[in-house]
Amino acid sequence: MKFRSKGAATLGLVLSGALVLGACTSGDDPATTTDPGTTTSATMDTSDTAAPAEGSGCLQDVGITETSDGQISYSTGPGPWDGYNSVTNRTYSTYNSVIAQQMVSGFVYFGTDGTICENTDFGSLEVLSEDPLEVKYTIAEDAVWSDGTPVTINDYLLDWAAQNPEWLAPGYANGDNEEAAVVFDHVSASFAADATEGPKGEVGSKEFTVTFDTKNPDWKIIVTSALPAHVVAKESGMEPDALAQAILDKDVASVTKAAEFWNNGWTFNPGELPDVSLVPSSGPFRLMADGWTDTALTLEANDKYWGTPTGTKNWVYRFLEDAAMPQALQNGDVQIIEPQATVDTVAQLSNIGDSVTVATNEKLTWEHVDFNFRDTNVFSDAQGGLALREAFALCLPRQGIVDSLIKPINEDAVVMNAREVFPFQDNYEDVVSQSYDGRFDEVDIEGSKAKVAESGIATPVEVRIGYRAPNQRRGETVAAIQASCKDAGFNVTDIGSGDFFAKDLVNGDYEVALFAWAGSGQIASGQNIYSTGLPQNFGEYSNKDVDAAWSTLAGSLDPEVHAEQTVIIEKLLWDTLYGLPLYAHPGLVAYDSTIQNVRDTSTQDGVSWNAGQWMVK
Amino acid sequence: MIKFIAKRLGISLVILFLGSALIYILTINSGDPLQGLRESNAPNRENLIRQRTINMRLDLPWYQRYLTWLGGASKCLVGACNLGKNAAGQDINSLVVNAAGSTLQLVFLATVLAIFIGVTLGVVSAVRQYSGFDYATTLMAFVFFSLPVFWFAVLLKHYAAIQFNNWLVDPRFSVLTILVVAAIVGFILQAAMGGPVKRRLMTFGAVAVVVAGVMFYFDAVMWFRRPAIGLPIYILGVLAVGTLILYLGAGLANKKVRNAVAATAVVSIVGYAVMRGTLLSDPSIWLLVGCGLAGVVAAFVIGFFLGGFSRKKAVIASVNLAVVSAFIALVDLLLSNWNAYITIQSRPIPTVGSQTPNLTTDFWGHVIDTLTHLLLPTITLTVVSIAGYTRYTRASMLDVLNQDYIRTARSKGISERNVITRHALRNSLIPLATIVAFDFAGLIAGAVITETVFGWQGMGNLFRTGLLAVDPNPVMGFYVVTGTAAVVMNMLADIAYAFLDPRISR
Repeated sequence: MKFRSKGAATLGLVLSGALVLGACTSGDDPATTTDPGTTTSATMDTSDTAAPAEGSGCLQDVGITETSDGQISYSTGPGPWDGYNSVTNRTYSTYNSVIAQQMVSGFVYFGTDGTICENTDFGSLEVLSEDPLEVKYTIAEDAVWSDGTPVTINDYLLDWAAQNPEWLAPGYANGDNEEAAVVFDHVSASFAADATEGPKGEVGSKEFTVTFDTKNPDWKIIVTSALPAHVVAKESGMEPDALAQAILDKDVASVTKAAEFWNNGWTFNPGELPDVSLVPSSGPFRLMADGWTDTALTLEANDKYWGTPTGTKNWVYRFLEDAAMPQALQNGDVQIIEPQATVDTVAQLSNIGDSVTVATNEKLTWEHVDFNFRDTNVFSDAQGGLALREAFALCLPRQGIVDSLIKPINEDAVVMNAREVFPFQDNYEDVVSQSYDGRFDEVDIEGSKAKVAESGIATPVEVRIGYRAPNQRRGETVAAIQASCKDAGFNVTDIGSGDFFAKDLVNGDYEVALFAWAGSGQIASGQNIYSTGLPQNFGEYSNKDVDAAWSTLAGSLDPEVHAEQTVIIEKLLWDTLYGLPLYAHPGLVAYDSTIQNVRDTSTQDGVSWNAGQWMVK
Repeated sequence: MIKFIAKRLGISLVILFLGSALIYILTINSGDPLQGLRESNAPNRENLIRQRTINMRLDLPWYQRYLTWLGGASKCLVGACNLGKNAAGQDINSLVVNAAGSTLQLVFLATVLAIFIGVTLGVVSAVRQYSGFDYATTLMAFVFFSLPVFWFAVLLKHYAAIQFNNWLVDPRFSVLTILVVAAIVGFILQAAMGGPVKRRLMTFGAVAVVVAGVMFYFDAVMWFRRPAIGLPIYILGVLAVGTLILYLGAGLANKKVRNAVAATAVVSIVGYAVMRGTLLSDPSIWLLVGCGLAGVVAAFVIGFFLGGFSRKKAVIASVNLAVVSAFIALVDLLLSNWNAYITIQSRPIPTVGSQTPNLTTDFWGHVIDTLTHLLLPTITLTVVSIAGYTRYTRASMLDVLNQDYIRTARSKGISERNVITRHALRNSLIPLATIVAFDFAGLIAGAVITETVFGWQGMGNLFRTGLLAVDPNPVMGFYVVTGTAAVVMNMLADIAYAFLDPRISR
């Protein structure tokens, strides 16, 4: 079972400013089933209040003044680490992102509950005008790469150019030309698509402005961190300023020359770490010379880092399978592990005793069942309609599913009653109380039967529930629904298969789809799921009011509007029954009890998001 | 013979070629490399799919992709391999070299140990057919053979790593533990030695007393924290091994061989006594290898000149003794450095990995670190593969022992020891050569599960991750190495046959 997405995108988002690539994919490991993810708007209330002091989810000051010797080992999976540049299509993986996260800092980062926090050590951002949206970015004066080169607009110019703007790859970023060839193999195109003119400013300066083409509520995570442009320039035989000027001048030939190194130069063969000057860091840690052996990659404290120093000198990333983690932790081979949260793993870790601390939480990934609204389908408005959907909702044992499958892992788990906010977020109660009256909290077989009769569909109603198999937890979920809904007149069939997403879901050969979306802190990404005709709306749901509410939300920068529209959307989705949310996925972190300042996060950044604060007591 | 080998090589190449096409087709059809992206709902999903399609050349028909790969791989014939890149853009050549190195390190020792222990157990259980020892060996062989590796590995990690490390803080034996262990060891050895009841009792008693004594001693001096062999025990060990070699080989009566072995023992002891200080204070791999080689060369020379009529026997016995002495010396050196190692590494037996990251220590510290990391996977691999060797050796040995020429040898009055070591054992090893050859070919293929549970990144891992990502190049890199190894080893087995069985080369 997979509860946390290995191919998670959020890290990449932070790193690359790749706003729209919020999807978590199944990553590199088809052996474990993953959730198809998207980016749900998880941070209605916090989107515009990003100062660290205000968001409790942001980094807290733990009073570190100097780095102590020693090392802390951490593992979140078997790796491998492929290279320094984690935002190419080839190297885009959780493992690369987790490590890159320690080596590049940016204007914003995600707090533990998905809050977008500003990194004031790195710089500041200021909205100059809202229409059109124009933002001034200022990089801290003392912000330098670990080789001493200042972090400047040059890096952001390259970040923008690397996303293949119109002048470099015509028709690519805006999707006009499906055959457009790219110059940079970047996973995202959002910076190029949303800011067609790119960063404006003096070459080599610490300040620049970006004008966004649309009033995108998620503008904050478009410009975040950047890779070192001076290394790319040098390796491509250019002066750093010359490359920046070439980008400003839209000099395709020079920039294309730089792309060769950007695409391939930062990928390394196992164990062959290059000279550290090739892989500088703007974050708290940097790659240690000769610090790469087959099963471990060591990062050391970056002595040129201008912000708060790291708590411990070395941070070692170990490449371990989940199955090997608990015993490695117990034996002291690693100090912090973040395996998949399964009942067995939690039990195994809890049995170790006081020497190990086990922490479970809820992640920004949520499980749900969605109906198929195609006219040929029994749940569509053309056939059974709302009554039949309600009948199914009434027999769906949501509490039972959470009690039997999730509570053994995280005893605080609750049934989720919203789609755009998570139970652990401050505004959850507020949104739920205004949008949902608890009508589907309890299983009501009699009520369900009545609704089936009302719909006029003859029993037994055939219901195929599809999911990406194999997935034990989803199999058990379907079995629970099967047992409960049988009495109400539904004949539920499990059609989980390995290619559910490639075939049945696309072709509409299902009544109910069971899967998860992974949130990444974006505000407007839900539009793609619930609006008519958009790509993530797999069930072809269509409701004019929902479409309108999303348009209003996505076209506004005002948090008040976001909050108001979210309630409207949630209520409409409950009233028309798009589907039913089930639960937020559980997360698991275990660590040696002598380690201080370990703080779990619900985001896909993983527990290493604050690795710089980890210390041995 | 040359024509035969050439023909075999030609056929092997054709098989390798056909196999490569098959594996390639199977791999690229084993899944959907775009699966993850299909489930993604990034707005630029189509762009992402297109990029991966271009990166992995999924737009080309299978034969074109295969031929591209084959074009690069066929350059291996002229020594300029180009096995392509994996999905992340890393060179397969480099990946394969890394993985093969890791795998060889992991599996070589285990295979050698498995062969040695397996053959020994097989021979003893054949000689003691239908005895308690035979049944016990058979039972244990099957138990270990059928053990799920991942489960055994978990148990081993718990008892041999976590619990052992806990115990090592204050390494004490209780009296009960000592008595039970002594009784068990004594029982096993008396069963293996066999003989009438009185002799069995004596063996049992003697072994139990020695074991108990040693354990009391270890307990008293906290030996497991401060272990040492030291020169006196080294001398005793060398002399004992020399005697054993004489006994098993040429016999104590052969004066020439006896002199050669005695001289070798003296040279080993004196040499080690002189060099021990340097090896401890200023070690290097070359010094170590140099000393070992010097001992072996000296033994060869001694055997050659003192051997006289028994020159061959004398050389073999002397060299064997030199090798074993070098090994004892190595153990002594490692044990002498153990205490220093556990001072910096308080939990010395790890459960994962091939080395402690960023360990700052001396030469011996690194050697011990490597060995402690090898310990658990080696035990796992050895235990599960002993069974095969034991059973094959036993069957083959029994087969030979029932041959007419063995009866003839016995009726001529040759001692039972000579019948077994010289007439039976060597002949019974012939069929074993085939298995050993295949095992060494399989050796480089790695051990997928063992590598996974112990966190090693070897060939098995390369194959597995390649297959999971539906990325054909790593899988093909794996195939090229293992396929070639299988072919070469098979041929070596044929040549070894000729060497072991003179009838074939005639």
